Amino acid sequence: METEEIRSRGYWAETWLRFRRRKLAMLALGYVLFMGLVALFSPAIVGTKPVVCQYKGKIYFPCMGYFNARWENAIFFQDGIAQRYPVQLKEKDPESWAIYPLWYNDAMRRVVDDEMPGRPGNPSGDLGKPSWMNPFGTTFYGYDVAAIMIHGTRIALLVGFVSTGITAVIGIVLGAIAGYFGGWVDMLLSRLIELVMCIPTLVLILAFIAIVERPQIWHTMAIIGITGWPGIARLIRGEFIKLKQSEYVTAARALGTGQFRIIFRHILPNALSPVVVPISFGIAVAILIETGLSFLGIGASVSSASWGRVLSEGRANLSMWWLTFFPGLTIFLTVLAYNLIGEALQEATDPRLRGRE
Amino acid sequence: MLQVKNLKTWFPIRRGLFQHTVGHVQAVDDVSFALRAGETLGLVGESGCGKTTTGRSLLRLIPATSGEVLFDGKDVLQMPESEMKPLRRDMQIVFQDPYGSMNPRMTIRSIVEEGLIVQRIGTPREREARVREVIHKVGLEDSCLNRYPHEFSGGQRQRICIARALVLQPRFMVLDEPISALDVSIQSQIINLLVALREEMGLTYLFISHDLSVVEYLSDRVAVMYLGQIIETASSEELYANPRHPYTQALLSSIPTMDETRRQKRIILHGDVPSPVNPPPHCRFCPRCPKAQEICRRETPPVVQISDGHTAKCHFANQ
Repeated sequence: METEEIRSRGYWAETWLRFRRRKLAMLALGYVLFMGLVALFSPAIVGTKPVVCQYKGKIYFPCMGYFNARWENAIFFQDGIAQRYPVQLKEKDPESWAIYPLWYNDAMRRVVDDEMPGRPGNPSGDLGKPSWMNPFGTTFYGYDVAAIMIHGTRIALLVGFVSTGITAVIGIVLGAIAGYFGGWVDMLLSRLIELVMCIPTLVLILAFIAIVERPQIWHTMAIIGITGWPGIARLIRGEFIKLKQSEYVTAARALGTGQFRIIFRHILPNALSPVVVPISFGIAVAILIETGLSFLGIGASVSSASWGRVLSEGRANLSMWWLTFFPGLTIFLTVLAYNLIGEALQEATDPRLRGRE
Repeated sequence: MLQVKNLKTWFPIRRGLFQHTVGHVQAVDDVSFALRAGETLGLVGESGCGKTTTGRSLLRLIPATSGEVLFDGKDVLQMPESEMKPLRRDMQIVFQDPYGSMNPRMTIRSIVEEGLIVQRIGTPREREARVREVIHKVGLEDSCLNRYPHEFSGGQRQRICIARALVLQPRFMVLDEPISALDVSIQSQIINLLVALREEMGLTYLFISHDLSVVEYLSDRVAVMYLGQIIETASSEELYANPRHPYTQALLSSIPTMDETRRQKRIILHGDVPSPVNPPPHCRFCPRCPKAQEICRRETPPVVQISDGHTAKCHFANQ
């Protein structure tokens, strides 16, 4: 009995098909994926620490230090290398070799003359116009703007995804509990939702930074995440209330299906589609909050490479237009991309447009 | 096999900050009937009269307020959840809207298989065989198994829903207006399928419908509901030939027919069905009844035995 079985499209495959029709959204998706790659490989694209090197007979990956200072092997600090690898590696160990990032420059300090044979240092002051050596120019202190932008992608995306991830998890779990169980559980959670909705995220972050001695980027993410979930919780709650009375949930109950299976197999997958859009917008909002904070010079990322930091230097040095233009453009494009994706998802998942055909 | 005694399903109406109950919707109020194995009982009545609520209360999909539902002598309504689950194999339901009653994210295979998984029946291989068997039984092909509900027509969807109920090999099925949402041309196919399945598997049906001619064709006995109560019960032939309750008479006179001999004067009812929140205290039909008299407003009508198996709840059933 060999009948040809037709594999047909599930919900998300159908959504993807509809999403793909929108050229601008596809462009935005390409941009976002490109940003992701840039963030992931930023230490190998631009930096002054070797991607791979052999030093005193061992292989090291010092560029990992850009992700986390502790990942840069201690031996380099002990030998006083850590900066100016090209010259110092050879000095300490003539046998050593190293492969450097595609482009030798640094987001965290000024590259000076003779660091690498034949390479002039970055200009400082207001001389750092965009040039072949520094395509986006340099800051007042001679840091390379393009390098900061590339390394700043990590922070921007990390903030966007981690805080929205926290938002989504809290929102979905609490919303589902409130909607499914109803009664006094719903009553309590709904009041909590309203309470959290009233907390202004920025003010809470400012207060937190004022209290905590050494604020870190994680604190910002956590606060954005912890204050951002009520919108998602409300959506999920509404979906659960609607779907728990749906005919197919009743049908599942008639078969003897347990609560666990009803929640996770029947309600949750159908309740998730409306929150995909706010999640996409949420990423954009989180990135904006973070850059806004470092623009004001109070973000946890003041000392690290971030888009907002360049902007804030641009405010201090208005004649250096490139300090405002390039990060501004990048932030604009990134936020626009997430909004375009969100909007296209909204249309791709809209039941009125999907029809039952 | 199934005996329903004084079933009541009232929905509380809650108001205000503290959600206190201000009244009840008496969706099903004191309904009793019995079903023998292999028999089909038709439950008819207009929209909102409580037919669907009755069907769902039997299966505990809606909690009943009071009464007994005896299935093989055991009270379904009092049963603990642990005993209820295996019982659900024996009692199944088919809904009015086949599209709404299927999870749009699941393939037909997982929809039909779900009952077996939930009830822990068989190995994956055995389950697959059973799913295919039941899909053939309702007249569909294997090729539909990997597809999703939105890819089917209304009639096919209803076949899938019937397959989902049948896969557990139930003895009793509630058919909750299974054909009302379908095209007329498809309705007869589904009715024929239901009749064939009844013969083949010895099923007992509670057939809920507002379509009187279909009920006549499919049912051995018919119960007529009005505003949460059963007002007349009789065998099919008897009820259609000799209706005694004025509401049944009005209902039957509304069936369009091509047959001159059966054509009768149309009885037109005036006014609307009263609210089930606050129904007329004695005879619930009397505000619209063409035969209503003083007594109807004063005394609750008795259940009058007209002949064997024929009862009507009316003061004038014997006139």
